[in-house]
Amino acid sequence: MAAPVTRTLAVLQRATWSAFKASETSQGVPRHPFLLLVPVRTKKRFFVPPAVGVKGKQNVNPEAKARAAGVVFRQQYIERPINIACTAGIFDPYVPPEGDARLSSLSKEGLKQRTEQLRQSASSQLAIRKIKEFDSEFSSKDFAERAQEIFIEAHNALCTFDKDKLHSLVTERCYPEMTRGNRYKTLRWRLVESLEAPRVVHARSPDMVTKGNLYGQVTVRMHSRQTLAIYDRFGRLMLGGEDQPKDVLEYLVIERHLVNPYGRWRLHGKIVPSWAPAKDPIVKTVVIPGPKLKPGEEFDPLTYRVPQPQAVQWSK
Amino acid sequence: MAATMTGCGIASLRSMFGLFYPRLATVAAGPQQMSCLHTSTTREQKHWERNNKIVYPPQLPGEPRRPAEIHHSRRQIKYSKDKMWYLAKMIRGMSIDEAVAQLQFNDKKGAKIMREVLLEAQEMAVKNHNVEYKSNLYVAESYTGKGMYLKRIRYHGRGMFGIMDKVYCHYFVKLVEGPPPTIEQKTSLDQANEYVESLKRRTIIHSL
Repeated sequence: MAAPVTRTLAVLQRATWSAFKASETSQGVPRHPFLLLVPVRTKKRFFVPPAVGVKGKQNVNPEAKARAAGVVFRQQYIERPINIACTAGIFDPYVPPEGDARLSSLSKEGLKQRTEQLRQSASSQLAIRKIKEFDSEFSSKDFAERAQEIFIEAHNALCTFDKDKLHSLVTERCYPEMTRGNRYKTLRWRLVESLEAPRVVHARSPDMVTKGNLYGQVTVRMHSRQTLAIYDRFGRLMLGGEDQPKDVLEYLVIERHLVNPYGRWRLHGKIVPSWAPAKDPIVKTVVIPGPKLKPGEEFDPLTYRVPQPQAVQWSK
Repeated sequence: MAATMTGCGIASLRSMFGLFYPRLATVAAGPQQMSCLHTSTTREQKHWERNNKIVYPPQLPGEPRRPAEIHHSRRQIKYSKDKMWYLAKMIRGMSIDEAVAQLQFNDKKGAKIMREVLLEAQEMAVKNHNVEYKSNLYVAESYTGKGMYLKRIRYHGRGMFGIMDKVYCHYFVKLVEGPPPTIEQKTSLDQANEYVESLKRRTIIHSL
């Protein structure tokens, strides 16, 4: 009985001693012996004397010593610069007229809509003039085509999940809206053809935080035919279909930080009008939670109406 | 242990480590034994959760629908892996509703934790992995693993001591979409018939 006790204790003592020696040699700074975990039971000491060599280590204040020596430390500012390259939303959004793209240009109402051109809106003209101050190559005629190109390239980059390219084509506000939930899905998108030429319909140049910090937001109206198919993680179709092209009327908002010389025109968001038709439902069935019943009430499936969202214009 | 007690500090440090952390990778002695060196560090040990990140290519129209697989786990549960194993074995192959119900009325401590893990996995399946019906899942794989133990000293008489392990375990579960697979129950009559058939099938070589 005594032999195994002494052997285990001796082994442990040797292990701790060589470990202590090893720690000393490997780091060069002697460790305090009482900080090592010695798994041997001893009598509980109520007063542990401080080890030799620890004297005076805790009393020294390096700050006081430096001040006494005359070395002055400059005050350290814990700051971090944040670069805001895009606005947080769409300022003064464009309200698309009701029935846009549903009336033919030959009817009276259609003609009225066609004549409501950009020129009529004064604040848009002012904004375009401000944008032309900073970006001399801006012209509302070819900007619309550039916007469509940006749109197509951005969606192609989204399908391939090319993050760097997507960040250069899409603002920081739009990026999470486009990519949230899509990381483990496969997207297939294609623009079949453009039904009408894209047109600039609205422009604003708001400033954020300080007065001179200008951003330009231009709304472009696009009518095109697109196909979209979303497959989930296992390759099963979730939404849409690759052989079903759909006619899509979109109002894109393109933004640029005008004051920044390296700013680029990037997709900032889309405006969904209140009269937009409902989208196609997804393939799977989803549970809509029922009403909260008080005890004693019964749920009547015949008279209960599922709450629908309000038909309001929103931007995404 | 005695062999390492010369002046070599690192070797004895390693032996001290070996006493308390037997799970850490030890460098193999000699080039011919490098095959037993495993290269995964402590950061890469969450392999089970990584199975949820594989993305399959879109299926062609003729292929059968691939069932969704959801991997979930809980780490460092304060319970013994051997005791947890009994519960894990019990729910293997059950549908998720049945498994949750059985665990709800089981008296073991691990049953409550396991039920939480299953419900979490079910919610994850519906929200993130495009599973249509939350009851249409069954437990395909369910097993336990050893977690990182804490060591304490258990005092015996006469100055003797033992090292007490504070046990922890991990629990892993894989849910698959679809009805649970039915295991064919073979009756004794079927087995007898099979035996007779195997006797009839015998060929006698070099016979007339």
